[in-house]
Amino acid sequence: MMADAFDISANPEVDLSQVPKLGELDFIGVSPAYRTQRLLQWALIQLVLALGILSPMILRAVSPSTELPEEMGTGILWVPLVVQLVLGGFWLLEEAFGFPRRGYVVRDRDITYRTGWFSRSTTTVPYGQIQHLELTQGPAARLFGLKHLKLYTAGGSGNLRIAGLDEEDAESLRGVLDTRTGKG
Amino acid sequence: MDFLVPRRQHPLGVLILAAQFLWRFGQQAWPLLIGVSLGDNALRNLLLGGAGFLVLTGAYALVYYLRFQYSVEGEVLVVQKGVIQRERLQVPFDRIQTIQLFQGPIQQVFGLTGLRVDTAGSSGSELQLVAIRKEAAEALQSILRRQSKEPVPEQGEANLSGAVVEKSMPAASSATPLVSLSMGVLLKVGLSQNHLRNAFAGFALISYIIGNRPEAITAWLDSVPALLAPLLGVAFLLLILPGIVLFLMSGVVVSMATAVLKYYRMTSSIGEEGLHAEMGLLRRNTFQVPFDRIHLTLWRSNWIRRKLGFETLEVRQAQAQSESVGGLKVMLPAMEPRHRAILEAELYPDLTIPPVRILKPVRRMRWILWAVAVLPSGLIWLTWGPWSAGVVTALWIAFSGWTTARRFASLQLTIHQDTVVIEKGWFWRRRILLKLSQLQGVEWERKVFLERRSIGHLVFHTAAGARRFPYLRREEGEAIRDFAMNQHHAGSRRA
Repeated sequence: MMADAFDISANPEVDLSQVPKLGELDFIGVSPAYRTQRLLQWALIQLVLALGILSPMILRAVSPSTELPEEMGTGILWVPLVVQLVLGGFWLLEEAFGFPRRGYVVRDRDITYRTGWFSRSTTTVPYGQIQHLELTQGPAARLFGLKHLKLYTAGGSGNLRIAGLDEEDAESLRGVLDTRTGKG
Repeated sequence: MDFLVPRRQHPLGVLILAAQFLWRFGQQAWPLLIGVSLGDNALRNLLLGGAGFLVLTGAYALVYYLRFQYSVEGEVLVVQKGVIQRERLQVPFDRIQTIQLFQGPIQQVFGLTGLRVDTAGSSGSELQLVAIRKEAAEALQSILRRQSKEPVPEQGEANLSGAVVEKSMPAASSATPLVSLSMGVLLKVGLSQNHLRNAFAGFALISYIIGNRPEAITAWLDSVPALLAPLLGVAFLLLILPGIVLFLMSGVVVSMATAVLKYYRMTSSIGEEGLHAEMGLLRRNTFQVPFDRIHLTLWRSNWIRRKLGFETLEVRQAQAQSESVGGLKVMLPAMEPRHRAILEAELYPDLTIPPVRILKPVRRMRWILWAVAVLPSGLIWLTWGPWSAGVVTALWIAFSGWTTARRFASLQLTIHQDTVVIEKGWFWRRRILLKLSQLQGVEWERKVFLERRSIGHLVFHTAAGARRFPYLRREEGEAIRDFAMNQHHAGSRRA
């Protein structure tokens, strides 16, 4: 029975082509300032890691008289550096291709959020199932005038976090959701 | 029976509370107890410390009992409790997910019942009354259930709620019996459990005990005369086969014991008010699950159970945000096909209408996955080389190809008007049912390699956790996603 089970369409009353399609809508991107914030974050973390890896070399340069233990020789430093290069490069790739893919669509009865480049997901949550909303703003986000919106659903597996919204956008989106949540 | 005036639990509750606190504090305080007993007169110190611990715990239980009061105010269950810090908990009826009655050994002897109320709030709070009379528990349960069953829909219809309450009064006479386990069936349920897993659990326990005292074994070996040593080796070899048999038999025994403890004298039925089940030997649990609180239905079976004509039903309700509660689920074993038909007709009436779509995963994915799985073993053979390794590798490739094909063939997604049926597994088979109108969200998910082939996974987020159907064609998956949201909105508009 498994041979060609595709395309069995019994019950023709529901016309799937008449159902509103999400794929035809344009996704609204998140704030460009968020890209700057994320790139700065990336650069900062890479810098700290690189400094950490190169610390024996730096120590030697600053005070040549210090005796370093044998295991801390500078000969094998290229191993962690290559690892960092690969992982950091992958992360940068994810930022470069993934950021333009971040976006949301607000429909009359549900909200959809799309994210990710390597691992992509498009999640739709109906307003009626949202238990509560949360707008958060850390110190970095405050600097860039951004807010993150988190939607909580029952059971928690459908929770949605839309990060990097402009402050006004976040407030107006919250306003839209506030009037509609819990009403099915 | 009314609960307007705050009341205490049954006086014997002190005993049960004391037992509970002893267990709980004992788990935390035993190093302290050992610490106290060190010194010259160890035994006397230990006895004194133990007695002090007992008295303190007993006093704590007594104060806890005296301070614990519960009442019903309007449509809110109010509990005041706390030994050092007093707190007043208010649980509105419509927040209550499950009401569970339970009887541990002490409660069973004195004809008392414990009552547990779970809310799926983000705090994951739960409430427990440990000892009330059975009649009081049943009265309280029906009060809580009557009003929590129908969440008041709109402000304007509030004055109609009286009529609603009348209509949804539990009608005991209309209950359809489901599975009831006789001793024979109970033993069959025990037999069809996963013995290997249970045997390993038993084995782990034994090796833990032996592992903690290795000096005893070496001492015993030293005491054996040197002449007997080769004999001992032969005896050890002879013991391997009986050892394996013993190992498996211990697994069966553990399975039997857990089945009897858990499902002893199980009865279940469905009525207007929902699913009802009662089970257990030492701790008897009574579940009462209203249909509209069931967010996921799971049927599990393995090869043995299918031979016996059994399936295990697992009914899941909304989980709390914190994982500590572990989800609210009820397991009913030994369901026969006719029981499944009764339950599904009641819970998912749209299953009788022909489905909208039946989908299978993309077929060529199974060959790709199989190739990924066997590639390492193939490479090892190529580099290593002996012909015996080649035979083993060939067998492994054939076997994994066969199981992959079977597993892929068993994957099926059936979309009905309001119900999604996911079927997976070939040896361990699962059938998962969820309602579109109860969905918390739908997700279309894929890795970048799959995206290039226009393949992805469809994830249904429910209040009882997420369920995934893998490797769908993109246009199929997106069509189902859009259809699911459409039906969800249509369904919740009707409600």
